Amino acid sequence: MIISNYMRAEHRECDEIFAAAEKSIIEGDFEQAERQFLLFSEDTLTHFKKEEEALFPTFEEVTGNTEGPTRMMRYEHEQMRGLIGKMAEAIENQDKDAYLSIAESMMILLQQHNMKEEQMLYAMCDRAIPQDKKESVIETMKTVEL
Amino acid sequence: MFNQGGLSLDQAPPLSVVMRFFITASIFGILLGLFLFSQSLHITTLSSYSTQLITVHTLSLGVMASFMLGALFQMLPVLAGVVIKTPTTKAMMVHGLLTVGVLVQLFAFGVTSNSLLYFLASAYLGLALFYALYLMLKELIKIKTHSSSSKGISLALTMLIPTVIFGTYLLLTEGGFIHIIDFSQIKEIHYSFALLGWISLLIVSVSFQVIEMFYVTPSYPTNITKYLTLTIVLLLILKMTFILLEYPTTILTATIALLFLAYATVTIERLTQRKRPTADATVWFWLFGMALFILSMTVTLIGSFFTISSTLQHLSYIAFIGFALSIVFAMIYKIVPFLTWFHLSNQGYMEAPMMHDVIHPKKAKIHFYIHFVTIVIWLLTTDITWLGSLLITISFGWLFYNLIFAIKKYTYTQKHCEKIEW
Repeated sequence: MIISNYMRAEHRECDEIFAAAEKSIIEGDFEQAERQFLLFSEDTLTHFKKEEEALFPTFEEVTGNTEGPTRMMRYEHEQMRGLIGKMAEAIENQDKDAYLSIAESMMILLQQHNMKEEQMLYAMCDRAIPQDKKESVIETMKTVEL
Repeated sequence: MFNQGGLSLDQAPPLSVVMRFFITASIFGILLGLFLFSQSLHITTLSSYSTQLITVHTLSLGVMASFMLGALFQMLPVLAGVVIKTPTTKAMMVHGLLTVGVLVQLFAFGVTSNSLLYFLASAYLGLALFYALYLMLKELIKIKTHSSSSKGISLALTMLIPTVIFGTYLLLTEGGFIHIIDFSQIKEIHYSFALLGWISLLIVSVSFQVIEMFYVTPSYPTNITKYLTLTIVLLLILKMTFILLEYPTTILTATIALLFLAYATVTIERLTQRKRPTADATVWFWLFGMALFILSMTVTLIGSFFTISSTLQHLSYIAFIGFALSIVFAMIYKIVPFLTWFHLSNQGYMEAPMMHDVIHPKKAKIHFYIHFVTIVIWLLTTDITWLGSLLITISFGWLFYNLIFAIKKYTYTQKHCEKIEW
């Protein structure tokens, strides 16, 4: 379960920063919110990159399946990248209501996406990918930068 | 396979599937308020027995079943990873049969001497609910590894089976087609399965995932997610057996009430530990709903050991209704704005309205205030009051307006906004 554990921990970290940024927005502290949001977007986008450049190709190589789960996850990543862009715009305009509104969609989409990955895709990766390859994938993911 | 899991472009049922159920439920709610209002002013003069039957079944079937089945068509792909193929046609059939069935049943309760109405009501309702059960359970039993939510939803749906069977039996008895030796026994079994099995278990199962997902809370304790729903089902089956054998059911009812009390307390605790700071109306609806569930189950617990007054009994029923409606409203104010945005966004409308543009949280807060006052008034009065009745109409009327507003936003965007072809 090393893939599941590693990736799940990253999801939880992103949730924490997301909630912190939202709190600052509600309190009207846009400077702090901007810092936290940047951290959230960097962590989230790096996580997506790790999956798209290291984990998904390994899964696809081992299973020979490029049209299934990973394709859907990539599509959802694109949707969330779009929302992150909109959230950044709302912070720049200091538009509290717009930010909270986009954050609401982002949160549901993100949680649903995480649920699918944690309950199914990561478990499938842990089962399908041989142990030595799993370790090397995690090492590769640790080096991924935005 | 993986593509069974979650909401995706080709798996999310069209918005119309959900909305037809939600709109109908709101209309039934509005009509119920108007009916009670006319009763309170003696404009209509039905017996208290007929009034009770009409009220209970408008709420349980017209309002709750419509909301719950609509939500299930939508949530099964997300929470259980199952997809009902060609959902529009199937949802239309379930919706049509259910709506006609409820209307015929209500007429039957109002015009008690007409046997044909009872027969037609049991036929329409039986067909609607068994067809919905078939569509959903057929897919749910295919799941190899169940989550706590998908297992709980399957069990809640299973509890609908005896509810419908005993309900049909009671309807046919009311219509004079069959004769039951002990009507009150069957009635108790019917409403135990309906309230504590179908309605409560569905809410419990859904909450296992959505509380954590919507509000970023710690997960429920494993003991609760693993064993609660199955234990309740076993206790309800035992209770039915005991009732039929005329054994005392005190311990069974008390245990069920205690288990639900533990669940509601944990839910409140989880909500107060949420990481998301937003205190929107949906959190209030959840907290209020759980507080009412605690009230209702506390009275049930006391009532299983001691004889309680009719006032306390009334309190328990109203609290239960308030609980179920609160959770339904909490879900609607998340589901409808999200789905409206989600569908438009997936259809390629770059200017798709965001969730707050579809139903602004302020509108949900207004609904919470109306709902709160409505339930408090009904808790404090034992008679049907014109004010309480009018508030029911206002509450559902406000929801109806919000749903129509969301549909208008959806169709406006489709007609007037630029679309990008993927």
